[in-house]
Amino acid sequence: MSLELPAAGSPRGVLAIGRSVRRVRPIILPIVTLTAVLLLWQLAAVRLHIPSVLLPTPSDIAQEMWHALPLLVDQAVPTALDTLLAFAAAAVLGIGLAIVITYSRPLRDTLYPNLVFFQLVPKVALAPLFVIWLGYGSPARVAFAAFISFFPVVISAALGFAGTDPAVLRLCRSLTASEWRSFLLVRFPFALPAIFSGFKVAMTMAVVGVIIGEFISSQAGLGHYILRAGSRLETADVFAALVALSVLGVALYGAVALAELGVRRAYGRR
Amino acid sequence: MALLDAISGADAAVPNGRILRLVLLPLGFAAVMIALWQILCQTLQVRPILLPPPSAVWTVLRDNYAILLDQTLPTLSESILGFVVASVLGVAIAVALTSSRWLREALYPGIVMFQLIPKIALAPLFIVWLGVGETTSVVVAVFIAFFPIVVSTATGLVSAKPEVLQLCKSLTASEWQIFRMVRFPYALPYIFAGMKVGVTMVMIGVVVGEFITAQNGLGYIIMFAAGAGETATVLAAIVLLCVIGLGLYGVIGLAELLVLRWFGGEAPISGVI
Repeated sequence: MSLELPAAGSPRGVLAIGRSVRRVRPIILPIVTLTAVLLLWQLAAVRLHIPSVLLPTPSDIAQEMWHALPLLVDQAVPTALDTLLAFAAAAVLGIGLAIVITYSRPLRDTLYPNLVFFQLVPKVALAPLFVIWLGYGSPARVAFAAFISFFPVVISAALGFAGTDPAVLRLCRSLTASEWRSFLLVRFPFALPAIFSGFKVAMTMAVVGVIIGEFISSQAGLGHYILRAGSRLETADVFAALVALSVLGVALYGAVALAELGVRRAYGRR
Repeated sequence: MALLDAISGADAAVPNGRILRLVLLPLGFAAVMIALWQILCQTLQVRPILLPPPSAVWTVLRDNYAILLDQTLPTLSESILGFVVASVLGVAIAVALTSSRWLREALYPGIVMFQLIPKIALAPLFIVWLGVGETTSVVVAVFIAFFPIVVSTATGLVSAKPEVLQLCKSLTASEWQIFRMVRFPYALPYIFAGMKVGVTMVMIGVVVGEFITAQNGLGYIIMFAAGAGETATVLAAIVLLCVIGLGLYGVIGLAELLVLRWFGGEAPISGVI
């Protein structure tokens, strides 16, 4: 990104500037756009006298965030813990079931269409049932979030395991590798990209599940905070919590992406 | 169902017995599970508040048919409206994004960012802006279904083979002709993959909207019945929601088949999202 200033007017210098601008543009442009949108929002809200109940200005929201930061962090902790627990459960159960499906043909034929069916129906509607079964506490939210994030993991992992290069598997067999070894050394590494794409969907679903759970049952957490602030028409509060939640969502997603990078590097692939 | 084909793709030319197995086994499994549920509920005397037997759900469906249908209609119309708006808006914005490099570089990262954050949490804001009503449910649904459609369509629009584009240019085709005859048909499988994700998202949006606005619709019935401890009614409403969800998904699958055949396009890509 070094932008060395060349002698003015020399055509090569202009080209160099053009090239480095083009390289920086994909990074600069989104930031500029975001700043412009925030500025416009601020100006419009102030100039048009939009009541802050309807749309608080970005500066109001920043102020609210600053004041409520300890509270927001307090509320973010249960949400984050529930999400991580749900994700872990979904990941373990999902991969487990995907392995079973991969190695047993009758089970695959039996279960897979039903899994796809569940993938398509609006599972969110089951949230109140989890509250009936598990009460108003965190287990209901974790179970519900794990339930909705479980299906993408199974389906991507099963697709990944099934997509292993058959030639490599035959090679393993002819080298008398045990099923377990060829799974560990071939199938699993081959399926990693698919598994992680399932994990990424699952992580966003887990956050959504926990938030919906908090909407309908909770006494704590960011979802509860948002709903309560919304019903009191403290819109700046709602926005502040939304920002906190977005940061949490992106951080959790980033953690999965980072884990993917680490695991794939450990397996010696990009 | 591209998923199914992908996983059992090894034996594409299937004998009759195989098809029978592929259809009968899963259906049989579902039937056995439901039967088991019924038997367990009766023998273990599970309290109906916790888990009513399937027969009780069926009784609710049969006896309260009129009421349930009354509440199904708003949910159905909200879902369809939300889906149509999200699709039109999503495809239009994707076209705009891919037609200008500047626009793409400015907006695309923001759109990807929005994919990652839990947008459902904005639902209470829409109540503040739009009040408690059907509009809120529709707008929440559009808002969360819109992003996957944009991202998928944009990916499709830039995925046309470079050779084909070069050929078009050397044959002096206009940008509009290239778009109509090459880019758009190439993008169709992606558009439909986005729409399939979109339609499940729309259902989530509508149901959550109805959960928290609580005016009418199946989501309202579910919350209301859950609060009253009428679990059988909750399950009956969920059955109807599943029917709506699968119906909409089926319509899109059918439309995909027809449109792709019309364009003589490739097989649908699997939309695992």
